Amino acid sequence: MNLEDELKAALRREDPSSGFAQRVAEQAKFSAKPKRAMPRFVWAVAIAAILVIGFTSTYEYRQMKAERAGRDAVIALRIAADKLNIARDKVSRREN
Amino acid sequence: MRRILWAVLIAAGTIAQLPAQLRITGLDGLASKARESVDITLDPAMLQMAGAFLAGGGKDGNDVKSLLSSLKAITVKSFEFKETGQYRMEDLEPIRAQLRTPGWSKIISSQSKEEISEIYMRTDQGKVAGFAIIAAEPKELTVVAIEGAINLQDLSKLGGLGVPAIPVPGQSKDQPKDSGKKGKQE
Repeated sequence: MNLEDELKAALRREDPSSGFAQRVAEQAKFSAKPKRAMPRFVWAVAIAAILVIGFTSTYEYRQMKAERAGRDAVIALRIAADKLNIARDKVSRREN
Repeated sequence: MRRILWAVLIAAGTIAQLPAQLRITGLDGLASKARESVDITLDPAMLQMAGAFLAGGGKDGNDVKSLLSSLKAITVKSFEFKETGQYRMEDLEPIRAQLRTPGWSKIISSQSKEEISEIYMRTDQGKVAGFAIIAAEPKELTVVAIEGAINLQDLSKLGGLGVPAIPVPGQSKDQPKDSGKKGKQE
């Protein structure tokens, strides 16, 4: 058998098996189905997580600022008090 | 038109007569020369936050909070130098010039050859509206401006031999409390 005959035999027309058309149609229908949307509860959890992180960060930042302000206020008042007392002592020593 | 002009002139005159809040100026260059420096400015919002934070610090914290509640602003600039001669008395002139304006009066003054300690009080409509402290020593310079009514007796109690007596919430008793003037705040 030469090459031409082999090709003819390989490429000869054959009828599809029974139910082929139906299977192709079903497969096409399945592929065209839209992807499932993300469930709502996943969105709700994600939004809640973002809000919690946001509020926590803001609270931490405010707390940090308040702590810094508190320490600064204590230092400022201490310095003021020390200098006030020193000035008073000098004056009272001079008077005595 | 004339009325508007008069109104503007009267308003300008009134504003000029009002004793202004002390601005600590002319000391900016000293921080780089200083071994240690403190630069603290607390506005009303910061003072409110500070008061809220310190309220959890027991009785002393509450004392500080009540002291802070009547204040509108605190500014402290303090410099400690390694050597003498790092600043000149003339550096204080912009501040002292403000303290010579109406409304300010000197209540305590101690001057020697090398040291100056002065305390000024500002009154507004007969009420105490602020204090200023200038303490100049050969190796140390401190200027404090306090805006608002403060009882000097109460303030005086917060000091004492340089030992900090005010607990800061969240700080353990064994832990050394902040270094006060020792820390470079800038």
